[in-house]
Amino acid sequence: MTDSTGAAGAGRDSVDGEGETDVAPMLAVYRHDVHKLFGRSHASARDRVHGVRVNETVPHGADRDAALLSRPRGDPEQTLDAYASPPRVSFLTGEVVMTGGLRAGGRDAAVRKLVRIEDAEAMHEAWLSADVPALVNESVYYPYTSLKYHTLLAAALLDNYRAGFAFDELFLVVEETDGSATPHRTVLSTPDIRLEVTAEPGDRPAARLGETPTRCFADVWARLPEYPFDVSVSRRWGVLDAQLRRIRSWSAALQFVAEYCHRFDPAGDAGRGGEHGGER
Amino acid sequence: MTRIQQVLFELDGHYLGHPYAVTGNALYNALARRVDDETRRSLRVSHGVFVPGEYGEYPAAASQDGYAGKLGQSLPEIASYEDLFVFRDAAQRWLLESRPRDAHNVLAVQDHGGRLAVDDTCWFGRPPGQRNRRRSMSWYVQCYVHADRDGVLPVAEDVLDGISVGGARNYGFGRLTVADSQVVDLDALEYSRVRTAAERGDAFRIELMTPYVLATEYPGGDDQSIPWWWRVESGELRRRETRLADDGESYTVNTVDHGQVVRYVGDDPVATAKNGVTRVGTHSRFGFGEFRLRPACEDRVPERSGMEGDA
Repeated sequence: MTDSTGAAGAGRDSVDGEGETDVAPMLAVYRHDVHKLFGRSHASARDRVHGVRVNETVPHGADRDAALLSRPRGDPEQTLDAYASPPRVSFLTGEVVMTGGLRAGGRDAAVRKLVRIEDAEAMHEAWLSADVPALVNESVYYPYTSLKYHTLLAAALLDNYRAGFAFDELFLVVEETDGSATPHRTVLSTPDIRLEVTAEPGDRPAARLGETPTRCFADVWARLPEYPFDVSVSRRWGVLDAQLRRIRSWSAALQFVAEYCHRFDPAGDAGRGGEHGGER
Repeated sequence: MTRIQQVLFELDGHYLGHPYAVTGNALYNALARRVDDETRRSLRVSHGVFVPGEYGEYPAAASQDGYAGKLGQSLPEIASYEDLFVFRDAAQRWLLESRPRDAHNVLAVQDHGGRLAVDDTCWFGRPPGQRNRRRSMSWYVQCYVHADRDGVLPVAEDVLDGISVGGARNYGFGRLTVADSQVVDLDALEYSRVRTAAERGDAFRIELMTPYVLATEYPGGDDQSIPWWWRVESGELRRRETRLADDGESYTVNTVDHGQVVRYVGDDPVATAKNGVTRVGTHSRFGFGEFRLRPACEDRVPERSGMEGDA
């Protein structure tokens, strides 16, 4: 992602052309920001990593639109004092989430395995559960954003655009967690919560994203007709819900859900009877 | 004349209460023991919204423009109806773009032996080796009170100062100290955006700022249906069960959850807008039933204009 200044909200209206990627578009989109996994800028990035073509421009403006869901339009500026590095910073702890380098602790091998996948649906599944891309921000200027969820959002947008839908036809949808994820369109999958960005919500709980891509997660979330969890069962779900109504950046919000559930296990808390009282 | 008194508290100590807001019920009960019987009966208290004590700029709809300094640490001047809501939206749209605004707005959560509490202070900029660059931010709570008779407002600062809310409040949790307070006359405000849109025949939307009660176990509270002047256009409105604590008892309350948007189909937008501030329905004296009326052409997310109605 190098350009977030262009006209946005285009979808099918600004067809950048299909087939401009060397590899299949639904593989290329998962590899478009691989240089960030190596701490490199787009300009100094290599075209091939572990023998596969990477860093190709994503068709239909899906990368740009995904970026606009999570960070401001225009020239980026450093937002966190004294910090401009690829490792992501956590909303939950205020700390940098990665110690050691991007190549430490088997991360290099994990990235190699991830980028070499040649089946697009398997690639999507692998990204949904991948750990390494969650350690890196999508822009050093916006260190709370997440490369993992930026990539999944870009893929979901691209898949919808390729099916002929425009951005203003898209919804955030609450998916069932049993069964398998929806190829390319599921953007978050934890044991308890699965969210999808799609123009085909069916009869599932859904809220519109709006006319143009912008940082609107809090607003879309607050308008969902049904939540994936029951806030009356566990106060921890309530705390998560309250936080999600405060976060506007999409990739940062999705990353927060994953991190919060991992750390506080709200579903397990509900199983223990929750925590009530003293709440008046 | 309908007057409200806005109060901005600084949170002093961890908070272990309701996660969405300090409820009007919690604030009411904390204040009630400090005032006389007559005041207690006539006092109405809104929910208290968490506000980060941070730099900001006035939102587009506010009557003031541009950079506002440490906006979250004092109450902005109120000239128009829209000014009332600068702090009332959890997304706190006034936070500066040039700073990590979402990070400022996420409540700092602390684990207290399995119970999650909100920290009164949040720390920023602590990458390894940069200890001296640490910067702190304090949390504030904004609410407003009004009364059904004259002579109650303004509630004195020493009555408001030092109340405690939420769980473990006898152990120093949830203490609130007054940072700012001001009285606003709702009838003297500018309602031109609402009026102009009404004259043009534009549609309006209602944003629920706090839950609206449908059914309650609390004695004396009647069940009620969704108001006729709300139009739910597609799907369902999300419901939420919550609790109302009073005198050691806990009562189940079923609500339409806040944060949702419906179309307005009434015929007196300005009067409805004022009613939304003083709140409607059962338990409105404890903060339930607060809403904002907005011309349908003005999106809650200003960058996302012209959105089609899907409420």
